[in-house]
Amino acid sequence: MGLILEVKNLTKKFGGLTAVNDVNFEVHRGEILGLIGPNGAGKTTLFQLISGFEKPNSGSVRFNGVDITGKRPYQIVNLGLARTFQLVRSFRFLSLLDNISVACLSPRGREAFGEVGIDAAASSILASVGLVDKARLPPVILPHGDLRKLEIGKALGTNPEFLLLDEPFSGLAHEESAGITRLIEQLHEEGVTVFMTGHVLRELMTLVPRVIAMHQGRLIAEGPPKEVASNKIVLEAYLGRGEGFA
Amino acid sequence: MMKLQFDWRSRLSRFRVWALSFRGGITLLCLVGLLLVPLTGREYLARIVITAMILTIFAASWDLLAGFAGQVSFGHAAFFGISGYVTAAFVKFVGAPWFLAIFIGTGWAVVFSLLIGIPCLRLKGPYLALGTLAFALILYNLFLTGTWLGGTEGISALPNIGSVFVEFYIMAAFMVASLIIMRAIVDSRLGTILKAIRDDEVGADAAGINTTVYKLVAFMVSGLFAGISGALFVLDITAVNPAVYQPLYSFYAIIMASIGGIATIYGSIVGSFLFTLLSEFLRPLAAASLLIFATLLILIIRFSEEGVMNPFLEHVRDLWDKIRGR
Ligand SMILES: Nc1ncnc2c1ncn2[C@@H]1O[C@H](COP(=O)(O)OP(=O)(O)OP(=O)(O)O)[C@@H](O)[C@H]1O
Ligand SMILES: [Mg+2]
Repeated sequence: MGLILEVKNLTKKFGGLTAVNDVNFEVHRGEILGLIGPNGAGKTTLFQLISGFEKPNSGSVRFNGVDITGKRPYQIVNLGLARTFQLVRSFRFLSLLDNISVACLSPRGREAFGEVGIDAAASSILASVGLVDKARLPPVILPHGDLRKLEIGKALGTNPEFLLLDEPFSGLAHEESAGITRLIEQLHEEGVTVFMTGHVLRELMTLVPRVIAMHQGRLIAEGPPKEVASNKIVLEAYLGRGEGFA
Repeated sequence: MMKLQFDWRSRLSRFRVWALSFRGGITLLCLVGLLLVPLTGREYLARIVITAMILTIFAASWDLLAGFAGQVSFGHAAFFGISGYVTAAFVKFVGAPWFLAIFIGTGWAVVFSLLIGIPCLRLKGPYLALGTLAFALILYNLFLTGTWLGGTEGISALPNIGSVFVEFYIMAAFMVASLIIMRAIVDSRLGTILKAIRDDEVGADAAGINTTVYKLVAFMVSGLFAGISGALFVLDITAVNPAVYQPLYSFYAIIMASIGGIATIYGSIVGSFLFTLLSEFLRPLAAASLLIFATLLILIIRFSEEGVMNPFLEHVRDLWDKIRGR
């Protein structure tokens, strides 16, 4: 198995605010790891640092043994680490199929699918996220649930080994969440390592065997979801903000 | 071999379908109409259309960069001008044949597109527009104040590339070829990537695309076609002076592309023909003509965000369908 991601002493400050504060953890190859924490805990910022969209003030990120700290996002993607965004984004004037094709046209996508296989790969990814019947539509007219699926589809176009999913369930109805859950399970079976956030543990409970919890930029707990859910510090972190949790 | 033949046939049948379609029919009709212009024997008309055809390439080159790659340039006159100057210099001082001079001039425009593109890459939106404008202004002033290459006088009395009718067909060939190539580029995979960068640069980065490289490619392709049009422009008027760099030309490109419809390439034809014909009619009004264009542009942007070509074609098609009783 071995480690796919090693995060060491990672710190990110925005002015006087330390959004990520000396964070250390590891992700094992092939696992699904959850990251929970109340609003503003620093989950998205941590993802930004790992995926290269923000530069840390200190600390390092190693992916497959390679130091990727300070690399540009597209370079990290082409090493096999792709991400989705908490706030869905899309190429507004491209069809759904082309939205995915763009990712398949990345160097890593081209290598995996071959120059002649790109269209077929994009269609099959679109089918796997359940959007194949909307291939020709532009994203602007899609409901939020479909945009969430597209978000994952775009990441899959780069043929990732490791997926960072930022709140893949946010804003979804129950059945839609179930669809995404199945998709993540399927990717996991195919050998993709998944690291995902959610700020309500219930969503992650069935899917992830291990979670880490974050609060005010620090990691405060780690373990199976049940244990973390009953951890006193975690409960206080959530209660302190008056939010629903488990 | 089999495969090649099959491909050719499918292309032919696709062409037939296109030619019989509404848009295909209109396009072919316009093309035939255009090619008949010289046969009317009216040199004045042919001259105006030549200018319009050259400016079409220029407007389309701007559209490729701004409309498809999302990089709005206010300095396109720089590519147009540098190529025009180099072309003129090579014809005049080296005695190069015009078709060779076009290559050399265009090559310089591509080099300059990199020189402007690289420092401007980090700029976005209005800052990019201002950055490119600044570069064009610097070039303009260099050529205006420098005594080399003729100073304010520029270079004049270049040989004609042929009679006005020969020239007409040469320019028509350049325009058609340039537009087809540009359209093929924006419809290709490269085009898909450029459009993705235009729509969401962060998203393109997250999709593993090296946006820096692709934006530079867009600058180069755009610079190349702007360069071709600059060279043709100078060969057409057989002279060049610093005025070809003036920022006004950059705005002409924007006006023409916007009138026709941004992110269409072919809209540039409509835009530049309207623009050239109108400027010809408005010539007696001199300075007021730009005012009229600005007003026209504002009205078009206000009432038809996508320019006039597509909405106009839609209306004609509706009318056509009604006539045929559909
Ligand atoms: N670009 C930025 N500039 C300044 N402050 C920022 C920036 N990005 C995040 N922050 C701040 O950093 C802190 C952590 O934010 P972050 O988005 O990482 O939290 P989160 O755990 O993802 O929250 P949520 O559950 O709401 O998604 C917040 O206080 C936020 O306001
Ligand atoms: Mg977040």
